Amino acid sequence: MIDLVLQALFSGILVGSVYALVALGLALSFGAMRIINLAHGELVLLAAYCAYLVESRTGLDPYAAIPLALAVVAVVAAALFLMIDRIREHRELNSLILTFGIGIILTNAILLIFASDVRTTSSPRLQDATSIGPVYAMNGELVAFALSLVLMVALWWWLKKSWYGRAVRAVSSNRAAATLMGISPVRTELAAFLVAGALASFAGVALYAMSVVQPALGHALTVKAFIVTVLAGVGSIPGVFLAAILLGVTEALTVTLASSALQELVGMVLFLLVLFLLPNGLFGARARRG
Amino acid sequence: MASLDSTPAAAPLEGAPPRATARGRMPGNAALVAGLLVLAALPLVLGASNYMLGLLISALILAGIALAWALLGNLGGMVSFGHAAFFGVGGYTSALLAAKLDLPVLLTVPLGGLVAVVASLAMLPALRLSGPYFALAILAYAQIFRILATEASWLTGGAAGFQRYPGLPTVFGLDLASRTGSYLLLVAVVALCALAYVAVWRSHVGLALRAIAESEDATRVVGVNSVLLKSMMLLLSAFITGVFGALNAHIIGFLEPDYAFSGIWSVMPIIAAIFGGYRTVVGPIGGAVVIYLFDQVVAKGLIAVGHQIILGFVLVVMVLAAPNGLVGLLKAKGGRHA
Repeated sequence: MIDLVLQALFSGILVGSVYALVALGLALSFGAMRIINLAHGELVLLAAYCAYLVESRTGLDPYAAIPLALAVVAVVAAALFLMIDRIREHRELNSLILTFGIGIILTNAILLIFASDVRTTSSPRLQDATSIGPVYAMNGELVAFALSLVLMVALWWWLKKSWYGRAVRAVSSNRAAATLMGISPVRTELAAFLVAGALASFAGVALYAMSVVQPALGHALTVKAFIVTVLAGVGSIPGVFLAAILLGVTEALTVTLASSALQELVGMVLFLLVLFLLPNGLFGARARRG
Repeated sequence: MASLDSTPAAAPLEGAPPRATARGRMPGNAALVAGLLVLAALPLVLGASNYMLGLLISALILAGIALAWALLGNLGGMVSFGHAAFFGVGGYTSALLAAKLDLPVLLTVPLGGLVAVVASLAMLPALRLSGPYFALAILAYAQIFRILATEASWLTGGAAGFQRYPGLPTVFGLDLASRTGSYLLLVAVVALCALAYVAVWRSHVGLALRAIAESEDATRVVGVNSVLLKSMMLLLSAFITGVFGALNAHIIGFLEPDYAFSGIWSVMPIIAAIFGGYRTVVGPIGGAVVIYLFDQVVAKGLIAVGHQIILGFVLVVMVLAAPNGLVGLLKAKGGRHA
């Protein structure tokens, strides 16, 4: 029994690291533009299907698809941004509906092109298990975990040190003042959107390499990413990471100790509890949400 | 081009005082009554084609949800991605009450609406959240009910589904279970909801809500309890949606969690309301009829699997080019000629 629980904890942490990547992308575009991109999960899905395409056509490792995924997602993300930028009235609500519509288009486009079958990697290298003490992990999961850590550090560096990263934070905290300082808010927001798309690309490829994907997954990923951002509260990268791990572990424990049918439910309940009891999230003491 | 069309409608609204904007946006009762008479006469004109009536019945169910969704959006200022929850709860409640407690169906249908209201009460704390957070909270909330209905198989029959519950009764010699009967009943209920919407809109509550839409902070300062008023809109919206869920359950005669709580019941009303114009009363109703018939007759013929992609495009194009919907476009055109 204790072995099973340990295994669930471990698997939950590995899956949670990918949730963190998805959630960080969502949080970044929200932070920069005050807009929740409801098509974010579909961007991840798009990258996952790029990995499937490359693997099934060329026989290469799914991770070889990263340049393709980055390019495809960047084009879609840029198009999405330009559309959001065109919205003039009721920006907050209309952008929700717009990105929701884009999500429907992307999901159905993937359904049309790739059919509704469940896809996963056929690479034996990624599917083989490695044992670490008493627990096991698929190699694909370990690679995803490492990738997630690297990307989080990279994102932290980008936001803290790079010119565009600091511009994103400036526009996020005071758009008018940032504009007066010579920062173009539109270009900054586009940069944030593209970086969010890059995170989504890596997350999608990682997800395909460690798990199964299907067209309906995009929507589920958006919901999970949102749950993570609410759990984390607004603002910190480590907070998002911990919240994502928490969600992953809770889901894995539910599957192990109760039933897999309850997996989705437990995330939602956790989400509503935090929403109602700790409206600022677990790690966002100073954050405000409206 | 189309985006230019929408600006003349928007421009006078910005500057004019709230009362005038309100007048301009709301269609009179005459238009409403005329539209509904046309709807009621349609089956007579089209002959008793059962296929067409069946489509129209489904379209009217959607019209009801779209109206409820638009009410929440227009007066409450909230976008909901989770109306499937209220729809499913209404359907299951009514079917279960009619089957297990032998209550008359005409009583269980409003009870379905009431239980949907109870379900929406759990959502009230989310109203403290601003726009996007509420929208996503309710999205997550809808999933919970689908899973609960699947897991509570002792009550709902679980994933295997639930049938063997009474259909709509015969009232004053009109068999409501027949296609024509169901259709007329739905026209009547949609009309009732539309009138209730107009009544709320014209009331003091409606005035306060319109003021909140202009500036929530300013309205609170003069002593309006904005959270309370928005809560009332959520409850009303949930009630209407629950009633249509219940009606649909009795017309279809079969429920399963993946159907009753399907995302379709959240998505289609949004597309219908946005397409028709969610800031009007006739918009969501007309939008639902047009969108549903288009989806079933045209889109499904073009693309068998994935025909929703066309609806996705409709949604995107409408938001970008005509955020006030088709009704807004028509008004802008009419206004220029006048």
